[in-house]
Amino acid sequence: MSDALISIDRLCRHYVVGGEMVRALDGVSFDIAQGEWVAIVGQSGSGKSTLMNLLGCLDTATSGTYRLNGADVETLSDDQLADLRNKEIGFVFQTFQLLGRASALANVELPLVYRGVPRRERRALAEQALRSVGLANRMHHKPNELSGGQRQRVAVARALVGQPSILLADEPTGNLDSQTGEEIVRLFGELHQRGHTIILVTHEPRLAARCPRAIRLMDGRVLGDGPGAEVAALQAPRAVGT
Amino acid sequence: MSRLAARWRGLRRFLAEAGEGVRIALLSLTGARLRSFLTTLGIVIGVMTVIAIVAIIDGLNASFAAQVGGLGANTLYVSKWKWMTTSEDWWSIRNRKDMGKAELEAVIREATLAAAVAPFVSLDAALTSEQAEVNRVRVRGTNQDYLLANGGSVGSGRFLTEPDVELSRSVLVLGPNVADRLFPGVTHDEVVGRRVRVQGRPFTVIGVLARRGRLMGLDLDTEASLPWTTFLRDLGAKRTISIAVAAPPGQVQALEDQLVGILRRVRRVPPGKPDDFSVNRQEQFLRIYNQLTGALYGVAVGVGLITLLVGGIGIMNIMLVSVTERTREIGVRRALGARRRTILLQFLIESSLVAALGGAIGTALGFGVALLVDLTTPLAAAVTPGAVALGLGFSAGVGLLFGSWPAWRAAHLDPVEALRYE
Repeated sequence: MSDALISIDRLCRHYVVGGEMVRALDGVSFDIAQGEWVAIVGQSGSGKSTLMNLLGCLDTATSGTYRLNGADVETLSDDQLADLRNKEIGFVFQTFQLLGRASALANVELPLVYRGVPRRERRALAEQALRSVGLANRMHHKPNELSGGQRQRVAVARALVGQPSILLADEPTGNLDSQTGEEIVRLFGELHQRGHTIILVTHEPRLAARCPRAIRLMDGRVLGDGPGAEVAALQAPRAVGT
Repeated sequence: MSRLAARWRGLRRFLAEAGEGVRIALLSLTGARLRSFLTTLGIVIGVMTVIAIVAIIDGLNASFAAQVGGLGANTLYVSKWKWMTTSEDWWSIRNRKDMGKAELEAVIREATLAAAVAPFVSLDAALTSEQAEVNRVRVRGTNQDYLLANGGSVGSGRFLTEPDVELSRSVLVLGPNVADRLFPGVTHDEVVGRRVRVQGRPFTVIGVLARRGRLMGLDLDTEASLPWTTFLRDLGAKRTISIAVAAPPGQVQALEDQLVGILRRVRRVPPGKPDDFSVNRQEQFLRIYNQLTGALYGVAVGVGLITLLVGGIGIMNIMLVSVTERTREIGVRRALGARRRTILLQFLIESSLVAALGGAIGTALGFGVALLVDLTTPLAAAVTPGAVALGLGFSAGVGLLFGSWPAWRAAHLDPVEALRYE
């Protein structure tokens, strides 16, 4: 267990909203090993977004521990977190989050800019990443000149270009029609085959069912953790009185 | 070694980030041209004002120094009048005894340190030739030392000589403007030898002075010189004389002491009583002038700074808008590994670039205004490198200063919130 890529233990994240304590995440523990493809599934309000922010080092926990590739995330400064995100995590967002004024190539180069990679090397790596997601002939297009599926591929290339330990995808198919969504899921499958570690955050059980492993969250706690098909089929316990 | 390697990596990263910052700034400048232009307008106007006014004052200074320098830095002006007086002094000075022949002759005879002694006595009079009449010409009675003490040179013919003065000849040296207007279409060489009447009395033109231009709006070329002896005989003996006395370099003070001694004796000032005359220097002129332009400078720079301040607030405003608009972009950059100071740097580069651009445009326009003033008015204007550096430096500084609050806000956005921002 100690050689896990991600190891979280009794992770809590509490907010105070309007004078009231909200336990968005309330004691979540699990490990993720190198090369796994894990879905984190749950309805809105289950805490999956909070968990994604914590796993992505965008936010820090109220209590509990998070070890990422040997580093104690809780103890890191803001700058160190930024460097960790740059090195270890590739984000793919539901809304793509590409920079509109920059070409696909410039978007993909961005993580390397923040790593101080020289321009020529940066360009070569970005071109390679774009080719690997099948966009060899769209490199100089701006996001608004690309289709939704192509935009998400650019985002995946941007996530991959720095060779991070984890690909962290937040509802990557949420803004795509079912056919392009399917293409992206297949792309993730390929990346998984190539050995990438993928964490896919989604509210869709059908998507979670296709992942080798799924972790189901509800009300800030882990409801189930196991093979995707089984966990996706879990029924939430009915609330009393309905 | 590893520390050195870390330094090197840090530098490379900084360069990459700065390059990205400049690229983003240029993109956003060219992406919203009208907005960039309006944002920077305050800076443009501020810098333009400062550059133009400083150029005009510098030009004024240069021409004033050149012209006043022509009067001779080492020349003392002995007169009944004190050049710079307060109103309280005025009555007592007015009641002083006029200066006359006795004082002039004493100075010529006894002022051993003097390099040149030229009397001045003047009035504004009408001059007439056969063709034309010119009113309000400064007619001055003086002697052969006038050009030496006061500056200026002869263009055609000759200046007054000692015999002209001793024999009280009816001869006249004209300023070039007077020559032109009295004898339209006649060359200055041909004006020499012609006849001119001053207050009805006939004079022969013996020379025309070279053109001197204007000094602070004062026309130096509309004047005429004649022997002071002739002046007193023909144009009125009751006028007070001033005496310009040139000192050899370094002996101005000694000459002044000598002159005071001579004049007190000639004018019979009892010991212990104050002088009933004044020894003026052009320095006094310069001092007053410098006070005046110094104040003007201060006002101009003050106005420019206020405009820059307003421009700076404009930049701050637009940068705050820009930060808000790009909240999600900031979130994305933070997620991809940008540190806070990377974001800070990015926005600082943008704000100082906008401001420096405004500064550059303002400098160019200021140049234009100065040039226009130079060409269309008697004021000379000169743009100095110092003024340009001042304008550019100030505007970039304003950009940095007023960009820092928006940049700080951008850098301290919560990445999670920023990514979620709609």
